[in-house]
Amino acid sequence: MLNRLYRWLDLRYGIGEIAEKELTGYLLPRNINEWYSLGSVLLVIFAIQVVTGMLLMIYYVPDADKAFKSVSFIMNEVPFGWFIRLCHAVGSNMMVAVLLLHMFSTLMMGSYKAPRELNWVTGFTLFALVQGISLTGYLAPWSQLSFWATTVATNSVSAIPVLGPTLVEFLRGGKLVGPATLGRFFALHAAVLPVVIAALIGAHLFFLKRTGISAPPFGKDETANPFEAREYHYQGHPGGIPFFPNYALQDLSSISIYFAVFLAVVFFWPNMPFTPDAFVPADPFKTPAHIKPEWYFLANYQTLKIFPSELLGLSVQAAAMTFLALLPFIDRSPERHPLKRPLFLTLVIAGILLWIALSVWGHLS
Amino acid sequence: MIRKNILAILLLAPLLFLKPAAATALEQPETVCIQCHGSMPDRLGAPVNLWRGSIHAENGISCNGCHGGDPKDAANAMSPQRGFLGAPKEKDIPAFCGRCHPGVYKDYLASAHGRALGAGGPTCVTCHSNHQVVKASLALINEKSCTRCHSFERAKTIRDAMSGTEARIVGISGRIAQFQVSGVDTEKMGKALFSVRNRFHTLFHDVDVNRVKNESAAINKELDKLDAALKVIDDEHARRRVVGGIAVAFAVLLAILFHLMKKTYD
Amino acid sequence: MENEGRRKFLGVCVAGCTVAAAAAAGYPVLRYLAPRSGQGGAAKLVIPAGELKEGDAKFFEFAGSSAVLIKTNSGQLVALSAVCTHLGCIVQWVKEKQQFLCPCHGGQFSTDGTVLGGPPPRPLAKIPFTVTEGNITIG
Repeated sequence: MLNRLYRWLDLRYGIGEIAEKELTGYLLPRNINEWYSLGSVLLVIFAIQVVTGMLLMIYYVPDADKAFKSVSFIMNEVPFGWFIRLCHAVGSNMMVAVLLLHMFSTLMMGSYKAPRELNWVTGFTLFALVQGISLTGYLAPWSQLSFWATTVATNSVSAIPVLGPTLVEFLRGGKLVGPATLGRFFALHAAVLPVVIAALIGAHLFFLKRTGISAPPFGKDETANPFEAREYHYQGHPGGIPFFPNYALQDLSSISIYFAVFLAVVFFWPNMPFTPDAFVPADPFKTPAHIKPEWYFLANYQTLKIFPSELLGLSVQAAAMTFLALLPFIDRSPERHPLKRPLFLTLVIAGILLWIALSVWGHLS
Repeated sequence: MIRKNILAILLLAPLLFLKPAAATALEQPETVCIQCHGSMPDRLGAPVNLWRGSIHAENGISCNGCHGGDPKDAANAMSPQRGFLGAPKEKDIPAFCGRCHPGVYKDYLASAHGRALGAGGPTCVTCHSNHQVVKASLALINEKSCTRCHSFERAKTIRDAMSGTEARIVGISGRIAQFQVSGVDTEKMGKALFSVRNRFHTLFHDVDVNRVKNESAAINKELDKLDAALKVIDDEHARRRVVGGIAVAFAVLLAILFHLMKKTYD
Repeated sequence: MENEGRRKFLGVCVAGCTVAAAAAAGYPVLRYLAPRSGQGGAAKLVIPAGELKEGDAKFFEFAGSSAVLIKTNSGQLVALSAVCTHLGCIVQWVKEKQQFLCPCHGGQFSTDGTVLGGPPPRPLAKIPFTVTEGNITIG
């Protein structure tokens, strides 16, 4: 039956040829490692976020008077509502965490280097957008946590000279965070950003397919980048291992491990994405004590605090982000093995340590 | 929204009375009452220090809260025109305190203690003391205090009947608060507990052993209901953890299977 | 060859697990989406008889669907489903003619629900009710 269906389709659309080219004939470097499967894991996470998000939209009401109640209804009344909601909330944290790992491996293996500059730029933009979609989604439950985290986050924009205050007002849809903010944040969170992210994922994959996959710099003598900017060249890996079934199984294995971790958090650490303020309805007249952003914003939060002026703190962050975004255009040496790039390796490790230190400091302060 | 707010208020009410109020008490500038009396000797100065350790001080209730007068104007602070009352006479004490504690006042008047007011019976300050009023608890019913007037026997029976209930209410209240901060809708339970607690508190000034015993039994029945409701949630959460354990184990198994399968292609 | 056998065995295991995983993931979603029981109108409804004048109709929600109670000019009470048997629109009460008209395709029903004209295939379903002490209890 399946064979006949396959033949039927193959005769008309040549799906056998596509499968040959994209799956069994898509050869990957022999020394490919597990880190290369994180992209697939991220695709799965994004899919879960989309599906759980759609499910939540069935019961969630994006109205300041009803949002908190509707979320409480999902958590308590709807069968398995708690599960869907926790998957969505935990999933957003997981997405940021796995993205960080994905970027870490790219840095370490120098995969961002020519000709893959745009792979990095689209990836980095995706990282920023995922932070954006997390931030806008944070307001949706209309709890004290949502409300004040959004107030603090949007407020930092006011440090921008001249335009700042206007920009904040535009962002919030009013002088303060309120029902108008919920409307625009919900539209961004549920309609605009998902589409933009999906499109960028498409671009990211397009670049990946056109440049060909990079070989890890490990286990070989020659680790420099072979790219020469003369004419378009697809980097194939003759004699490599096929994507299907070999690496597809690695992808599935990594995805299963991800699920184990993800479900462990959902079932055994359900309070991970929340603080007690997440279960108190938003009250614009009562700022709770110790309002803190999500863990992945703690470093930014602390940076803003340690500089004497907010503008300076914001500028430092903007400079750091720009530097990272344009890294492939700044670091142009062809060498990719981390141990043969001591300065770079030191900088990466120092950067990560700084980020962790700032986060811990932000958490404790 | 509104109902949620009420719930939050119900659950957080005890906290509100403790923490933020203490902070405001500290922030308030010293009243003229304390400026003068604080440095006075003996009878005129002692109440200030006693008051500093009281629940009233903690909640920002200062001298003028009970004694009236103007705490901002030293010259007229003790002028009757500014509502200064001074110290009440013995038989006026219950009404004096009852201005802010009307429920307790009513309960007290209806009790044997209250009926003996003016005939050697105890007033509020007999048990609660006057300036160093501490947070009311069952510890106030103790041998030393009660035996000043009568044997401790009956008082002890009453205290024993109430202490178990008190502990249960505190325990249930803690469990509800815990559920509340993990997203469980505890509104109904919070309200039920609030009314049970109120009912229980009216017993505090009752000295009729039988009534205390009967009421305690009825209150405990209500608490049983709350316990049962909490147990349903606990069981549900335990069930979730079992299912979660299976799900995680299953994901690990899948990872191993995929890994083994990949190895057959190496 | 040994690899082949192992691969086949693992394949069967993986297929089984995948089916189980899909079912395990599908069940919560299905439950989440399932309509919640006990919603919509009550299964029993009391309407004070005085609320209805002769020749008038009163529409209400009953057991999750729309229903109508009429008092004919002769004072007779009738309770009917208000859902047209043609395509499910809600019929309207035409007081002057003392009959129901479905606005969608012109179906007409008499006061006892029988089809007077138009496309409806069946009469409107009758709903049982009792009258006690000036109260009309539907259902």
